[in-house]
Amino acid sequence: MNKPIVEAGTVGLVDDLSGTIPSKPKLGDKLLEGKQEKVGVVGLFDDPHALVKAAEKVRDAGWKQWDCHTPFPVHGLDAAMGLGWSKLPTIALSLGFTGAALALLMQYWMSAVSYPVHIGGKPLFSWPAFVPITFEMFVLFTAAGTVLTGLWMCKLGRWHSPLHDSGVMAEVSSSRFALVLSAKDELWSDGARSLLDEAGCTDVRDLFEDVDDGRIL
Amino acid sequence: MSGSINTASKRLDGAKLSTNAAIVAAIGLLLSALGLTMDPQRFSYAWLWAYLFFWSAALGGLFFVALQHLTGSIWSVVIRRVAESFAAQMWVVALFAVPILAFAWFGDSFHLFPWLDVHHVEGDEVLAGKQPYLNVVFLSLRIVVFMGVWVLASHFFVTRSLAQDAKGAGRNEGTKKMRSWAPAFMLFFGLSVTFTGFDLMMSLDPHWFSTIFGVYTFAGVFVTGLAVIILGVVFLRSRGVLDADVVRPDHLHSLGGLLFAFSCFWAYIAFSQYMLIWYGHLPEETSWYTDRFVGGWGTVSGALAIVRWVIPFFLLLSRKAKTSPRRLALVSVIAIFGQLLDLYWVIMPQLHTNGPVLSWPELGPLLAMGGILVWLLTRFFARHPAMAVGDPLLTQSVEYRL
Repeated sequence: MNKPIVEAGTVGLVDDLSGTIPSKPKLGDKLLEGKQEKVGVVGLFDDPHALVKAAEKVRDAGWKQWDCHTPFPVHGLDAAMGLGWSKLPTIALSLGFTGAALALLMQYWMSAVSYPVHIGGKPLFSWPAFVPITFEMFVLFTAAGTVLTGLWMCKLGRWHSPLHDSGVMAEVSSSRFALVLSAKDELWSDGARSLLDEAGCTDVRDLFEDVDDGRIL
Repeated sequence: MSGSINTASKRLDGAKLSTNAAIVAAIGLLLSALGLTMDPQRFSYAWLWAYLFFWSAALGGLFFVALQHLTGSIWSVVIRRVAESFAAQMWVVALFAVPILAFAWFGDSFHLFPWLDVHHVEGDEVLAGKQPYLNVVFLSLRIVVFMGVWVLASHFFVTRSLAQDAKGAGRNEGTKKMRSWAPAFMLFFGLSVTFTGFDLMMSLDPHWFSTIFGVYTFAGVFVTGLAVIILGVVFLRSRGVLDADVVRPDHLHSLGGLLFAFSCFWAYIAFSQYMLIWYGHLPEETSWYTDRFVGGWGTVSGALAIVRWVIPFFLLLSRKAKTSPRRLALVSVIAIFGQLLDLYWVIMPQLHTNGPVLSWPELGPLLAMGGILVWLLTRFFARHPAMAVGDPLLTQSVEYRL
């Protein structure tokens, strides 16, 4: 009777926050015996200053395909990673002007073309009356557009990431700081993890991703 | 870090600047005296215009200081002394208000406030109904009480902050006291700014009324306060009195953000006032605006929207612009010009009904008050450190990053 309903090891979907890598999902062991490919290395740090120092090292080494993940915004990390200006503000502004132009066009069409009504002896196209709607549409397009563009720029919409499968994100979203080097980078070699070792990282892990072999589970 | 703070307590060497300011003040006083003898009414309008501008700058500085204590802001500690320097000049601004009391008490020779004119009020039911509020005794009382509290509040915030300099960092009694009084001052500030707007600007056209006029006045005051603070910070930074490693682009960005936001706020309030009156189309409300579309005034009205909102909006939109001292100084100068234009546009159409007139009688009071204030500000920074070096939050403020 005391036997657990699910035996340990059979289902590994529970996030392990203790710092060890949880076992891979094993829903039906036989079906998941696919090949795995090394897609990068991840270094986990315990404090943000160490992460900033390591990021400076990776930046100076000339890496392009890499990223940092932190539980909260770390001040100075943008500069340490050598990130340039984001394109998001420019996109947001263009979306805002698009919204304003559409709003003006819509109101012009409604009040002066489609259903012209004279109100208080004012001209059909009385622009001061249209300003509030134009302003609101500017704000709406900017706000909604910024959120959606931001999500798209963050590559949201992927179904999964090796960072989630390996449990790295579970740790990052609570207390630790991760620096990920991708195998896609030109500088990638088997010695990539030594860069993190040199940066003083004591917890460097390889990152694997399942190779899609065409089977459905 | 403490080393850079120590260098920041350098004093301003402004001997040349204060001489020039004194010369400008002397020329301004001479022109004012000439203007007073030639045309007292024109002089009173010019004096009111200049007074309201420098009142905006000093009160804007005081509001900024109180706001930082109210919110317990850390980022602003490194630049708060600059705002305090403007607030510290409130007593001189109070002296500048004395002629305005004279304009009211000797209404027959100045004709500044139309509601003081017996012939104007006679048989006018609306103005007769406003007599309990618009009379010379109550107006003087309001000016004296508002001015008195502003002077006392400035004295309170500035002396407490200066006292901390000597006591050294780590002592926070002064900050505690300032924080506990800031909310009470804010309540008074809101009411006093509103009624000053009614008294000294709206009542020049005593039939006209706009309930949003107090907020409109406040928008002008805060934008002007921010503009002079930014100009002061950029000037002291370029002279090396404020260390560029201490007052960093991060701090400039916050100041620039506020200037950007409140330029937009002004536009929002100004348009709200205009649109509701335009839409409502009531003769007693629209008259004020139709006066401002006659002759050359139409051009001034259009220029106002461009100078106060369109130009600052695009010049300060990007993050880079808000961290650039040169860009910030440029927009601050435009914002100061905008406030002068705004006050001119509010006040002068009551006198020059056919179109704008600007000559030496208008510039006299402006040069006089400006010269005196710059002279006093130079003395302030020659005597006191340009940074609140004894503030308990200074180290944290230096470390502020975006």
